[in-house]
This record gives sequence, structure tokens and C-alpha cells, in this order.
Amino acid sequence: MEFDFQVFAHAWGTILSQPMLIFFIFVGVTAGIMVGCLPGLTATTGCALLIPFTFGRPPLEGLLMLIGVFVGGIYGGSISGILIRTPGTPSAAATLLDGFPLAQKGQGGRAIGMSTVASFAGGTIGALIMTFASPTIATFGLRFGPAEFFALALFGLSMIVAVSGVSLLKGIIAALVGLMITTIGYDPLSAVPRYTFGQMQLLSGLEFIPVLIGLFGISQVFRNIEKMGISEQVKTDLTRILPKFREIWATKVIMLKSALMGTFIGSIPGTGCDIAAFSAYAEAKRSSKHPEKFGTGILEGIAAPEAANNAAVGGAMIPMLTLGIPGDAVTAVLLGALTVHNFQPGPIFFRENLDIVYPLFAGMILAQAILLVVGLSCARYFARLVTLDPRMFTAVIFLLCIIGSYAMRFSSFDVFLSLGIGAVAYFMEYYRFPTSPILLALILGPLAEQNLRRALQISHGNALVFIDPVNHPIALIFIVVAMAALVSMYLRMRKSRLAELVRERETQN
Amino acid sequence: MLKKTLLTAASAAIAFGLTLGGANAAFPEKDITLIVPWGAGGGTDVFSRILVKNAKQHLGVNINVVNKTGAMGATGMGEIAQARPDGYTIGTITFQLSAYRNQGLAPLSYRDYSLIGLINQSAGAISVRTDSQFKDLKSMMDYAKANPGVLTAGHSGAGGGWHLALASAALKADVKLNYVPFDGAAPTRTALLGGHIAIATSGIDEMIEFYKDKKVRILAINALERHALFPDVPTVAEAGYPIEQPIMDWRGLAAPKGVPADRMKILIEGIKKCFDDPEFQKAATEKGFLLTWKGPQDFEKFLDGMEKTLAESLKAVDLYNPIK
Repeated sequence: MEFDFQVFAHAWGTILSQPMLIFFIFVGVTAGIMVGCLPGLTATTGCALLIPFTFGRPPLEGLLMLIGVFVGGIYGGSISGILIRTPGTPSAAATLLDGFPLAQKGQGGRAIGMSTVASFAGGTIGALIMTFASPTIATFGLRFGPAEFFALALFGLSMIVAVSGVSLLKGIIAALVGLMITTIGYDPLSAVPRYTFGQMQLLSGLEFIPVLIGLFGISQVFRNIEKMGISEQVKTDLTRILPKFREIWATKVIMLKSALMGTFIGSIPGTGCDIAAFSAYAEAKRSSKHPEKFGTGILEGIAAPEAANNAAVGGAMIPMLTLGIPGDAVTAVLLGALTVHNFQPGPIFFRENLDIVYPLFAGMILAQAILLVVGLSCARYFARLVTLDPRMFTAVIFLLCIIGSYAMRFSSFDVFLSLGIGAVAYFMEYYRFPTSPILLALILGPLAEQNLRRALQISHGNALVFIDPVNHPIALIFIVVAMAALVSMYLRMRKSRLAELVRERETQN
Repeated sequence: MLKKTLLTAASAAIAFGLTLGGANAAFPEKDITLIVPWGAGGGTDVFSRILVKNAKQHLGVNINVVNKTGAMGATGMGEIAQARPDGYTIGTITFQLSAYRNQGLAPLSYRDYSLIGLINQSAGAISVRTDSQFKDLKSMMDYAKANPGVLTAGHSGAGGGWHLALASAALKADVKLNYVPFDGAAPTRTALLGGHIAIATSGIDEMIEFYKDKKVRILAINALERHALFPDVPTVAEAGYPIEQPIMDWRGLAAPKGVPADRMKILIEGIKKCFDDPEFQKAATEKGFLLTWKGPQDFEKFLDGMEKTLAESLKAVDLYNPIK
């Protein structure tokens, strides 16, 4: 399908001439940021909660508001990730790796500023790609079958190296724990419940959000309590809250690369912003000149995942609008919203309802600009939060974590689950096991396991499908890239470790 | 001590007064909650929301949808069964309820509810891509018979309705297919469009857009009669594979067991009015939901029959594992 510039220009006219539409995007983005930064309330929940308010309004108003929530929600998750080490949405879990250390150094404002700019840049790139290349990308997304998904998941799991911290072995152990957790629950492939011990609550497995809150939020609460009264209070440097333009400009290549990766990963149906963020973080670390600084609080470590997860928003919209296939959970809700407004997204919708589709594109781009303004003007206020008395602050975080784990499906089982996971995570970190690999495994485990079995079932048990250059070239490429990334990371780690050993010996002598 | 007794007496009096007040007041006097056991934006969710959209006109109060997901719908459906039986909490129950016990998943069945009505029955569709070599069901079955286990058939979950529907047709035709379970209908459809599987078995409404766009060909629908939106698609029986009771996806409304009869009557009448609402009828038909109304007694009979049919199909695919 040709891109129709005239209709697109007209769409911009529609949006900019109607203050109500801009207002609804603004409401959506702001609501999204608020929902996103509360642990347990994700962009998905935000959209689902707001759908009823779109009934009885012109479809465009409602849909643009929901898109605003999506865009704002993915960004908002990073705020709580940076400040209290509890990602508001799963996609912000990679951001806290460098965001939280920065906040601990009293530079929370800088971290949020960076995250805002990166979200804006990534989101805009994603929205532009979505606008101009949707049909092409959508067709490519269809080439992802079970074999390709497994290869993609394997590629994702190779990122464990990047998020393992000091000890790769401990990272792998943590990831294996995560993979084992994902096998709990009903298995859709064999229709058999696994490791549920007859508990109905375990039938759908461990709910993702409570586990996430336990892994990061609750364990942080425990750590805060441990340090209470011993450690110095964080002092935020209030004179220099936002990052300098020079610092932001230095991350331009990382942001662009991450945005492209994010859009692409987001556009594959069945993957989402979270995988995009982790992949971009790992790639930024891999290609960096100083990978050892990642995880200690550097701006690149925020720019990469934030640019990628917001770009993935645009990516995820592509299969939803062009094929009627939701790219992830949020777009599934958006798809439902479109259906409620009597649109049936799919190839026909995309061809014949340009009067809806193009304003959606234009609104998405506009939402990024609104995000930048709202985000930057709020960053300074958010940044002060960390300077609160930890005794008070910790109690508030604890409360937020409890509410968040309950709110996902109004279940007190989930509250106990997140407390339990929090206790385990606390001791894991005490013994220097990183918790991020668990999260990565939780996201990728089901994708890897199910598609491995599915691909083997389709190939009648032939394991060579994954490296078949004729029928599954994409799968082969992913596996080769994953292997290459693993090897190059390993070699670099060994080199820096050797250098360290040499230094140690010299100081001893 | 005296204080405590007084307090107890007072609270008992208040409670008594409240009960009396409750019994005298007209039902319903506040908004009703409708629990939907599946996620927002999915088929059941959209269906439930358009059904109760105009509840205010028909029942005098709003019906608010709350999604309680998890455990293959068992979380939400369990919650409906255990809700306070005052008529202010009702819920959408779906196909899976007919199989929970026999698949050994959850101790739930239609016997745990006061049924309101069966509202939607969806037919299954057996689809291939438009560029597939199979023009009709017979050519596909013949090919599968000559090449047992070669054709890959994607479905939306082992033991689910569409898996069982195709499996029971294939069993009748003595054909072996290579079943590939996906996690839901959308991924199945994506895999079919991408050419990763040869056949997809799904709900007919899942395929409607791609059928219109001539991206998929529907070989047959698994229903007793043809579907108005797909007039040229034969039923499985017409295509040469007669089955007495086709397995159909269903959705209905129910309240927890024990809601007073007068309240049930008001609920049933109100929901029936929502069902008859032309706006609902139009919206549901456009989305491919096949509408049907069965009141509580017929609904119960239908569910009893469905449970038995499913038990047989589950045995046929080795997934029969009833809760004792």
C-alpha cells in the first residue's frame, strides 16, 4: 500500500484543529504516567480501566486517550524504577539497573530527565516507523513462526550475561531459578497442570506483576529496613536536576540504535516492550567502550532501555492495526477498544479507515511531544521524593508494593506471593545473586519453552529446524547473533578479569 | 459486661433492621457487578461489555464489568460461584466450565450457579490459507488419510473446544493430524497466516476479517447449520462428516447459587431485555457472535449435554482426568 501524504497531512489538520483531541491526548499521557509509576498498575491496566470512559465519545477521542495512556504508562514505569527500585511496569525493569544507582547518588532528577528524553526520542522514532512502514513490517512479522520465536527467546536469554553483574555463574543460576518458576501452572500444550499441588491459585502460574514487585520492591524494602539508622540519607543535588544537553547528545547513537531495535522487537506479535528494553540494554553494554560501568549508574544504561521500550509501543501497534493481531497485552486491550467502537482492525480496516488510522499515527507522534513536556516539568518534583526520611519513605513503598500486588487481580494470594518472593530475593542479593536474570527468565521462559516444543512438533521432532538456512533463515540469524554476543561478552569479561588479577598481583608485590 | 451485652443487642438490632430493609427495598437499588473471567479486550470481555452497555434502561441500574482473570478462567468463574448471593454480583461463564472437572483442573461446574441464560454459541471454523492446495474439507481429509500425521493443525490450547471439535471430526474420518497447540486464538491465526501451520481450528469470529479479505479459506464450520455471515461455507456434516452434537463455544450469564427467586426473576428479565436490545443485537452480529437465548432450564439442559459430549471427546484425545 502506498503511503498517502495528502491524507496524512489532513489527519494532522484534524488533530491540531481540535483542541479537544489534544486535550484527550494530554489527559491520556498524564494518566498513563501516573498509572505507570505506581507499582502494580501497568499500562495494560490503565487502558483497561479507561475503556469504559471512551464509550459514548467520538472514537478518535477515546482511542487517542488510550494511546496516550500506553505511551505515558511505559515511560511512567521508569520513574518508580529509578526512584524506589520498583519498576512500575515490567518494561522498566531494565531501566532500574542504572537508574536506581544514580538516584542513590542523589542524581534521581538526572536519571528521570534522561529517561524522559530517551522515551521521547525512542517513541518518536517508533511512531515515525509505524507511520511510514507499517504494512512492510507487518508482513515481516508474520514470518515469525515457532522456530523463529524460540531463536528470538534464546537470543534474549543470552542477555543474561549483560545483566548478571559480577559473577556469570550466579547469574545463570538465578536465570535457571526463573525458568523453573515459569513452568508452574497449566501447560497449554499438554493441557496438564504442572507443580500446582492441586492449588487453583497456581493454575495460571505465578502472576508476573506480584513476582516483579517482590523481586525488586519488597526486597528493597527489606534492605532499607536493614540499613535504617545506619546509612547516610541520600542527598539530592537540587542545583542541577536535569541532565545537560551535552550529556544527552552523547547518547544519541545509543538512543537511535535502541529505538530501531525496540520498534523491530515490538512489532513481532507476541513480544513486547519488556524484551525490547532488555535487548537494547544488553546491546548498549556489549558495544560500549566501558561495559564495566553499566550497572553502576550511567546515563547510557537509562537511555538504551527507555528509548527501546517506548519505540516498541509504536512497533506493537503495527501488527494490531494492519493485521488485527495484538503485539502485546496493551495492544490487545486497544484492539478490544477499537472493537467496542465498531472497528475491526485488520487488513481491511487499515486500507479503508484511513480517516481513523492516520489521525492515530499523528496522535501518537504528538503524544511523544506532550510526554517530553510533562515529564521534564515533573522530573524535579519527583526527584525530591528520595530526600524524604527513609523511615517514612520505606513505609510508603511497602504500602505501594502491597497495593500493587493486590490490585493486579484483586487477590490476597498475590500479596503473600510477592512477600515470599521478596524475602527470597532479599537473601539472594545478600549472597550476591543478581535478581535481574530471574526477571529476564520469567519474561522469556514461556516464549522459549512453548515455541521449542511447538517447533519440534511441527518438524516431527527434527531439531535441525532451528539452524535451517533455507526454511528458517531468521531463526539461524538469531542463534548465530546470540552465540556471537555470548562469546564476545565472555572474552571481554575474561580480559578485564585478567587485567584485574594482574593489577592485584602487582599491588601485592 | 453490661456494656458488651448492650452493644451486642444494639448491633443485632441494627443488623436485623438492615436485613429487613434489604428485603423490603426494591431490587436492584445499586449498581450490579458483572465478573468477566477473561482479560479486557478479549472476545468474552467485548461480548459482556456490549451486552450490559444499556443495562440502565433495562434494569434501572448500571452493570459494571470487572475482569478477574487467571487459571484458565477458573479464578473468575470460581469468584462468581463464591460471591454473596444477593444478586448484586453476577458473571459471565464460558465454555471452559464444561471441561474443568473432567480435565481435572478445577472443582467447578454449572451446578455451582443459579443460571441466568445462555446468550452466545460460537461455531468452530476449520481454515486454511487461500493459497493452500485444499479447496474443501474432503480433499484435506483425504490427503491426511493418505499421509497420516503430516498435516499440522494449529489450535488454541490442548483440551480446548476447537481442539476437541477438530479432533472429534478427524476421529470420525479416521484421520491422523499433527496437532500443534498455541496459547490462544490470536497466535494460532498468526501462525496460519505466516504459513507455519497448514490448518487452523478456531472460533468462526476469529477468522471473519481474514475471510473477508480473502487471506484464509474456511473449509467448513462446525455447527448444525450455516452461518449468515459465511453463506458459502458448508457445515462439517454437509462436507461429508456427520456429527450429532457439534462442540460449540458458549457464553452465558449466571449468578451465585442461592440468590432469592424473586431477585433471580428480575435479573433474568433484565438480562433478556439487554439481549433483545437492537443495539446489542446489531453489535454482536457484526462481530460474528452467534446469538441464541436459552432461559435457565434450557441452559441447564444444554450444559448437561455439553459436559457429556466433552467427556467423550476428552477421552478420545487422552485428556480425560475427572476430579473425583
